[in-house]
Amino acid sequence: MPMKNGRFFVGLGGVALVVSYLVWTGIKDTMVYYLTPTELLAKVESDPHFHEVGVKVSGKVVSGSYSRLQGELLHRFQVHDIEHEQVAFWVEYEGVLPDTFTDDTEVVLEGRYGADGVFRAKTVLTKCGSRYEAAPEELKHPAEIEIRS
Amino acid sequence: MTILGEFALWMALPISFWGMTMGFVGGRYGRGDLVLSAERSVYVVFGLLLIASLGVIQAFLADQFQYWYVANYSNRELDTYFKIAGLWAGQRGSLLFWAVILAFFSSIAVFQNRRRNREFMPYVVGVLQGILAFFVVVLLFAKVNPFERLGFTPPDGAGLNPQLQNYWMTIHPPTLYFGFTAFSIPFAFAIAALLTGRLDSRWIVVTRRWTLVSWFFLTNGIIFGMRWAYEELGWGGYWFWDPVENASLLPWLSSTAFLHSVMIQENRGMLKIWNMSLVLLTFLLTIFATFLTRSGLIESVHSFAQNTEIAMIFLAFMGSVLAGSVVLILYRLPALRSENQIESFLSREAAFLLNNLVLLGAAFAVLWGTIYPLVSEAITGQAVAVGPPFFNRVNIPIGLVLLALTGIGPVIAWRKASARNLKKNFLLPLLVGAGVVVIFLGLGARDGYALATFGLSAFVLTVIVVEFWKGTRARARIEGEGAFAALLHLVGRNRRRWGGYIVHAGVVMIFTAFAGSAFDREIRKVLNPGESVSVASPFGHTYSLVYEGISSSREPNFDRWVALLSVEKDGKPQGALTTERRFYRVNRQMITEVGIRSTPLEDLYVILADVEDFEGMVTNNPDAQRIVVQVMVNPLVAWIWYGGLIITVGSLIALWPGPEAGPRSRTARQGAAETETDLVEASA
Repeated sequence: MPMKNGRFFVGLGGVALVVSYLVWTGIKDTMVYYLTPTELLAKVESDPHFHEVGVKVSGKVVSGSYSRLQGELLHRFQVHDIEHEQVAFWVEYEGVLPDTFTDDTEVVLEGRYGADGVFRAKTVLTKCGSRYEAAPEELKHPAEIEIRS
Repeated sequence: MTILGEFALWMALPISFWGMTMGFVGGRYGRGDLVLSAERSVYVVFGLLLIASLGVIQAFLADQFQYWYVANYSNRELDTYFKIAGLWAGQRGSLLFWAVILAFFSSIAVFQNRRRNREFMPYVVGVLQGILAFFVVVLLFAKVNPFERLGFTPPDGAGLNPQLQNYWMTIHPPTLYFGFTAFSIPFAFAIAALLTGRLDSRWIVVTRRWTLVSWFFLTNGIIFGMRWAYEELGWGGYWFWDPVENASLLPWLSSTAFLHSVMIQENRGMLKIWNMSLVLLTFLLTIFATFLTRSGLIESVHSFAQNTEIAMIFLAFMGSVLAGSVVLILYRLPALRSENQIESFLSREAAFLLNNLVLLGAAFAVLWGTIYPLVSEAITGQAVAVGPPFFNRVNIPIGLVLLALTGIGPVIAWRKASARNLKKNFLLPLLVGAGVVVIFLGLGARDGYALATFGLSAFVLTVIVVEFWKGTRARARIEGEGAFAALLHLVGRNRRRWGGYIVHAGVVMIFTAFAGSAFDREIRKVLNPGESVSVASPFGHTYSLVYEGISSSREPNFDRWVALLSVEKDGKPQGALTTERRFYRVNRQMITEVGIRSTPLEDLYVILADVEDFEGMVTNNPDAQRIVVQVMVNPLVAWIWYGGLIITVGSLIALWPGPEAGPRSRTARQGAAETETDLVEASA
């Protein structure tokens, strides 16, 4: 923009700076670690402060571990690491579970891993086909697709 | 028919390449015969892609499960309506759908401009056929061919994701795709203008209208998507800052910026490079959005396998478009020099510039937040997540500045606003805005952002109403017309301006609705038959719901459990409301169908969160009928849908062809008073 008037570049630069500042601090303050259960337990081990930090964790629900407590408003289940099945912890969640939640789905949890070893989830999302399409199947080669009949 | 469709898709490959080559060669060497051939090839490619699309639909309707795409997105019992929509239900079909819509728009653009803009047409055709050729190549060679066969015929298909089996989901993707593809036309004209060096206002006129077409579809597509999320996903919200949602927002933000900055170019001959860059950016963002929506790249970080072929081919395409366009802009830099300078911060130019910066700032924030997890993991190896808290924190203040500018931009004077101009236009709206804030404070609202939104919305609406009133009054006085006739003629004489104001009113309504979400109420409760749950609404009403019982039935494609609740509002019976769960047998998936009772001010939104025993319902055992419901009161949600309708009306007024549609020459307008408000000013 060939504007000779330097004041305008200062003004425009100011706007750009404010937006960058908002974005920068916004990312810094709201970003959370996205961990596997193994990584989460290792982090908590090395730094107990991590019990207070909100994190996002992906894992798989342990079959048969699901139950409802407190007049059925509290969901309780175990989640294990997808690669290391022996690494697991209990999850408590008060809220509506996603439609696709079953007793052996992959889930993404957001919340805090308390000092008592229970993960208190603020949100629970299921990973597979939760929104748009059956993506895992879609990208497989046709020969690998198992057609349900 | 399906075989014919596959054949047509293959035929589209050489013909689109032919059209691209002949367009550029014919344009470069002034060969009219080659150019004509290129133009006709656009219609041919449209016909071929249409046959291919019908072939896919035919495969769905005839349950031809030997095709991978049909087997994965349909089943015998699927509703015919959703079988037709299967064309855009998955990645493969929707890429074909994208291409056929682009070919459709290209044909219209070629037909409209074949005489009007002769000198641009060779290159316009070349660019459009180039984009089409790209999509045909992707379809045929990037492992996403919708006609790919399984090698065997399964007895039934895997079924369509039940969450996609919803009315809004059948119209949301096409509308969005109409918006994405329509923007290829402005891009093609921009490139043609750069190549021919004809950088006066001609290309802007065509581009402006097509941008509005694209913007109109994008806006509606986004709103339809919100409606789908609200009704189908069952968590009470309509926007989640999901990467795919963000992807559709990006071109919307940049095309909104262009629609505004183009006015500065038309009126003041400024910002030519900027506008050219916005067209380029928006086009890239439409491609990026298509790519992100259908490649699963971002979501795939932690879950899905990536289709690397399609990622690479899209990145290569976007990279070459970017490089080529930047080179062209640099080459034409001297011709894009500005004719004027900004004279004051207090001017319409400055307000529009700020609007552009703020819109692009929002786009940057959304883009950065969306791709940050990828960037961070690539650089540090540590996976992170960026979610709604980030997007809300950054975009709410940006949105408020934008809302304020929506009121300031249209009435602040060009060049330099006088104190008199400011006082005359802004005193009343500011007082109304402040009054609204005071009223809401008095009513007990304490959310700062929501109060700011309500105040600014009132400010903007007052500006718009005063403009309409002044214009109508002046016209009624000068032409001696009745108020209604004066209003109609006023709008008719400058559709773009008044249509734009109506669009602004719709946008204000939607912003107000967003602010309403600060006052959502929700309660979750276990209910046995006969028990009730109460919730107080932010408008001071009390809803009581009595759980009457649950019934189950078997439908062709799913089993359903329907809970019946009777609703009372402040003690007055309001009738019954049902909320249900369905189990889609083929997909083996449970979904929630929310019960919504919508009023203009607030929605009662009831989710059947849990059912005690899905087997026991038929026995009528009361214990087995215990359910968990989540009851929400969502204020002002309906205003989003109303706002969308108002935006549609405003856009159609602005788009309607008429005397305004032709090029508006600056010299012609310098002689006459520009607007009705100027008439008022002159007569005052």
